[in-house]
Amino acid sequence: MLSRIALRSVAGRQSATTALVARGSATDAVGERDEKNFPRPVRGEPGKVRLGFVPEEWFQFFHSKTGVTGPYTFGVGLATYLCSKEIYVMEHEYYTGLSIFVMVYYATTRFGPKIAQWLDKEVDAVENNWNEGRVENVKFLEQSIEEEKAAQWRAQGQELLIEAKKENVLLQLEAAYRERLMSAYTEVKRRLDYQLEKSNMERRIAQKHMVEWIVANVMKAITPDQEKQTLDRCIADLSALAAKK
Amino acid sequence: MGFGDYPKEYNPAVHGPYDPARYYGKPDTPFGQVKLNELGSWFGRRNKTPSAFMGACSRAWWRWQHKYVQPKRVGMAPFFQLLVGSMAFFYVINYGKIKHHRNYKYH
Repeated sequence: MLSRIALRSVAGRQSATTALVARGSATDAVGERDEKNFPRPVRGEPGKVRLGFVPEEWFQFFHSKTGVTGPYTFGVGLATYLCSKEIYVMEHEYYTGLSIFVMVYYATTRFGPKIAQWLDKEVDAVENNWNEGRVENVKFLEQSIEEEKAAQWRAQGQELLIEAKKENVLLQLEAAYRERLMSAYTEVKRRLDYQLEKSNMERRIAQKHMVEWIVANVMKAITPDQEKQTLDRCIADLSALAAKK
Repeated sequence: MGFGDYPKEYNPAVHGPYDPARYYGKPDTPFGQVKLNELGSWFGRRNKTPSAFMGACSRAWWRWQHKYVQPKRVGMAPFFQLLVGSMAFFYVINYGKIKHHRNYKYH
């Protein structure tokens, strides 16, 4: 009993804390992304400088008030003032600086372009190296899309083929049907021809037998008297014919 | 806000990826556009705690970085800027000793 109460209280506490955490995170993550005022930062081009290190903005700041030569005049004037009043002290380190400046200037103008070229090449190589996997992946996916499209095209061809096959089967069915119709017709015609032939034959045979029977009966019916009369009559006719001649 | 935390005003849901060169608080008039008679009140509105000062220095550093050091093809400009800046800085901190090397008494 007691353990159950303890469990319940623990469960209640837990739910309360989780609710609090959820609410806190909800307030943290709330808000719509403001792309207009807070666009995603992009990597820009390096800022322009003059004389190797002075930002272009410094000259633009002077340009509207003093013209093109203003900033240079200001620089030279300030340097002249500092040197003339010996605020800038030309001690031994100044001449060291001058010689170092000459060396740096020579090195920059002499080797700078070559080193810049080599470094640009290296930068491109590094960037290509980093992009390679992505580019390869994109190429692979595009190729897959192409293949998929070709497969779909082939599937459509298969549909056409199946259609043609179905048509072919229908044609075969039609041919078989007509063939059977034809065979039924010929069979019926054959049987009818047989019947016709049979009835003709029967009639002929009956006629023949009838003729034979009649001739036989007639021959049987002729008596010798009749024969003699006929013969006489024939002779008389012949003699009559001869007399007429 | 302790060390290494984002500024209080930064909200990832609204502002997107964090830009260390950017001030995420309520923008005031830029210093270049402040009139001379408004200068006092402008400075009065500034937050002058050490952490705010450090934040301003950090933003300036990152603005310089983004403009001159971080682009893809930079020249020698940032190195010369660092060189000139450090020369000026060391000249200023050593000025008390250098002063004794003056060649002329009267100017």
